[in-house]
Amino acid sequence: MSKRPLLAGAALAAALAMTLSACGGSDGGGDADGTTTITFLSWTGEEQMTPVLDAFGEAHPEVKVEVSYSPPVAEYIQTLQTQVLSGTAPDVFLIAAENKTNLIDGEHVVDLSGEDFVKNVEPFNLETYGRDGAYYGLSLSSWAAGYAYNMDLLAEVGYDSVPETWDEFLEMCQKLKDAGITPFLESVDQMPTTVSAMIGAKSSEMDPSLDDLIFSGESTFEEQWTPVLEEYNRLYTEGLVSSDVVGLDGDMVRDEFAAGRVAMFNAGPWNIAAIEEAAPDLNWTYAMIPGLEDGKPFVAGAASPGYAINSASDEAHQAAAKVFLGWLASPEGVEIAQKQTNDVTVTSDFDPPVDPIFEPMVESIRSGQLYLPMISWQRSEDVLNVEAVAQIQRMIQGQITPEQVAQALDTKLAAS
Amino acid sequence: MSAVAVRPPRALSKRGSLRGGASGGWKQIAVNQAFLLPALFVFVFLFVVPLVQTFYWSLTDFTGYSPEANFVGLENYTKILQDPSMLAGLGFTLLFAVGTTVLITVLAIPLTVQLNKVFFGRNFVRSVWFFPAIPSMAILGLVWRYVLSPLESGVLNSVLARFGVEPIGWLSVDSLARLSVIVVGVWAATGWHAVLYTAYLQSIPGEYYEVAKIDGASPRQQFFGITLPLLTPAVVISTFLLMTGGLKVFDLPYTLTNGGPGFATYTITQSIIVSGVGQGRYGLASALAVMFTVAVGILSFSQLALTRYIERRFVWPGRCGAASC
Repeated sequence: MSKRPLLAGAALAAALAMTLSACGGSDGGGDADGTTTITFLSWTGEEQMTPVLDAFGEAHPEVKVEVSYSPPVAEYIQTLQTQVLSGTAPDVFLIAAENKTNLIDGEHVVDLSGEDFVKNVEPFNLETYGRDGAYYGLSLSSWAAGYAYNMDLLAEVGYDSVPETWDEFLEMCQKLKDAGITPFLESVDQMPTTVSAMIGAKSSEMDPSLDDLIFSGESTFEEQWTPVLEEYNRLYTEGLVSSDVVGLDGDMVRDEFAAGRVAMFNAGPWNIAAIEEAAPDLNWTYAMIPGLEDGKPFVAGAASPGYAINSASDEAHQAAAKVFLGWLASPEGVEIAQKQTNDVTVTSDFDPPVDPIFEPMVESIRSGQLYLPMISWQRSEDVLNVEAVAQIQRMIQGQITPEQVAQALDTKLAAS
Repeated sequence: MSAVAVRPPRALSKRGSLRGGASGGWKQIAVNQAFLLPALFVFVFLFVVPLVQTFYWSLTDFTGYSPEANFVGLENYTKILQDPSMLAGLGFTLLFAVGTTVLITVLAIPLTVQLNKVFFGRNFVRSVWFFPAIPSMAILGLVWRYVLSPLESGVLNSVLARFGVEPIGWLSVDSLARLSVIVVGVWAATGWHAVLYTAYLQSIPGEYYEVAKIDGASPRQQFFGITLPLLTPAVVISTFLLMTGGLKVFDLPYTLTNGGPGFATYTITQSIIVSGVGQGRYGLASALAVMFTVAVGILSFSQLALTRYIERRFVWPGRCGAASC
C-alpha cells in the first residue's frame, strides 16, 4: 500500500516548496537573451570550482551556470536529499556512493549512456554509478589507497619495497618488530584499506563478481569474506600490530609515519601534502597491498562522485546540462579541473600529471583495478559499512571471530 | 492613609469580576490570551507538527528522497528492538546521562563552595573552571582525541611514560573509552554548573552561617545543614539540564571515539542521524526518535518529580528558590 506521508504541516510545507521552487531554474526553457541558465550544486569548493566554471563560461556563453556549494560528504548528501524531496534539486548535482541507490531507485537522475561525452571515460567509473547498462553519473577521476612505506626503515631489515604476497608481508613485519621498529599501523575508523584491497583482488578473479553472488543470494558474506578476514586478522593475532589501532584515526597514523615511528601505514593521495610538509626529508613512497594466495597485489579505491543530471529538469535545461557535462569531460575541461584538484583523471584523451611518489598506484586507477566495498555493494551500502567497521574493530579487539564479523553482515543485509 | 488610596478603582473592580455578565472581563481575557498565540504557533509548528509527522513516518518506509512512503506498521520498531547496535547505543546513552549527571553534581557543589570563598585570584580561577564550557563539544572532542591517543606518543601517555607507566588504550578498550567520554563530558560541564550553583549560593544569607558558627556548627555541619538544603532548587535545575543534555548527547562521543570501539560509545542520537541522514532510512530513524522521545519524557518527568520531592523536604519555608516558586 502506498500513501503520502501525513502532512500535518502541509500548508507550511507546500508554501515553502513553492517559494523554493520559484528560486529554481528548472521551470522554464531558455532565458530572454537566448542563453539557458542551469543550476549546479557543487561538491568541490568554490576556490577550486570557480576557474573551471569561468573556463566553461568562455567556451559556452550560451549556457550559464548558477552554482551553489555544499561540502562533502554528509552535508552535501543531506542538502541534495532535501532539495530532491522538495522538488528544488538543481539541474546538475553529484551522485556519490552514499546516495546512488536512492537517486537511481527514485528515478531522479538521467541515463547518460547514449551521450558522446561518456565514450572517453573509463568504463569502471561509469559502471560505478550505473545499473543494467545505464550510466547515471559522469565520474571523471578515481582515487586509490595502498601502503605508504618508509624506505629507510625497510632497508634496515633488508627490504627495498613492500613484498607482493601477504605471507611475505607478515614475515617482514615480524623482522621489523624484532628490530624494534613498529612495522605497520592502519586506522580502522573506516573500512580497513587492507580488507578492501584483499576483497577487491578476490572479486576481480571471479565471474560473476563476489558482490553479484552475495547480493543475488547465491553466496554469503560468511562464505566470501571469512577467509580474507582471517588472513587480515593475523596482523593482530600474531602480535604484529597493536589492537590499539581501533582508537586511532587516519591523521594520527599519518603523523606517526611522518615522525618516523612506524614503517608502513595505509594511505591515499590525500596524505602526500601533509607528510611532505611535516617531514620533507622522509624517504618514502607508495606500494600496492600484498595479495593473498595468488600473490596479486591490489589497491583499495573507487570512482570519484559523478556529475548527474536531474530527471525533473525540463528538456531545455537537460540539454544545457549535457553541454556542461560534455565540456567537463573534454580534454580542456579535464585539464582545468585536474589542475585545481590534482585528481587522477580517467579520460582516455588526457594524461594527468601525478606526484612521482604516487606513481605506483596510477596504473590501477587509470585501468579501474580498484575496489571499495561500500561503493560496490548493491544496496544498504552505508548500513553494511557501519556494521562492518564496528564488527571489524571488535574482531581486532579479540571479542569476536572473523566468521562472526561476516555473519553479522549477512544478518544486517537480511534485515535491511 | 486616605480612603481613596485603599479603595480599588471602580472600573478595575468591575473588569476584574467574571460574574454578572461582565463582557469587559472576557474581552480582557481574550486580549491576554492573544499574547500567547505567537508562543502557541511556535510550539505547534516546531514541536507538535514535527512530532506527529515523525510518528507517522515511523510507521512507513520513508527514504527521504520521495514523498511516497509505504505503510509498514510496527516493523521499524521491531527492527530497532532486534538491532544490537541500537540497543548498545541506548545503553551507553543512559550510562553517559546518568554518569555525567551524578559526577557533575557531586563535583560542582563542593567546587562552588570553594570558589565562593574569598581568596586571591578568585575570579581568575572561576574563569578557568568555566572556560571548558565555551568551546563546542565537537572541538573539545577532537582535542581530547589527541590527548587520549592510545599511542605511546599520545599526550597523556607521554606524561605517564615519564613515571614508567606503559601506554594505556584510553580510546581502544571498551570500558576505558566509555570512561574517557564521560570524564571529558564531566570536565567540560562542571565549571558551567558550578557557576549556576554559585548564583544560588550567593543568595543564601550570611546570617545563617554566623548563627551556625555561634551554635558551634563545624564547616561540614554547615554544608550539610545549610548549604546543601538551600541549594536544592539549583540541584533541580542543574540535574534536569544535565539529564536532558546527556540523553541527547552526540557531538562529544562522535568526535572523540566516533561511537567506537565497536559500538561501545555509540549513542541514540548518533544512531538517529546515521540511520536517517546517512542511510536514507527515515522511517527507522523516526521510530527510534519516537521511542527516544518517550524514554526521555519518562526519565525527565521521573527525575523532576524525584528532585521536587527532595526539594520540598529540604527547602526552608521562609525561602523561595527560583525553581520552587
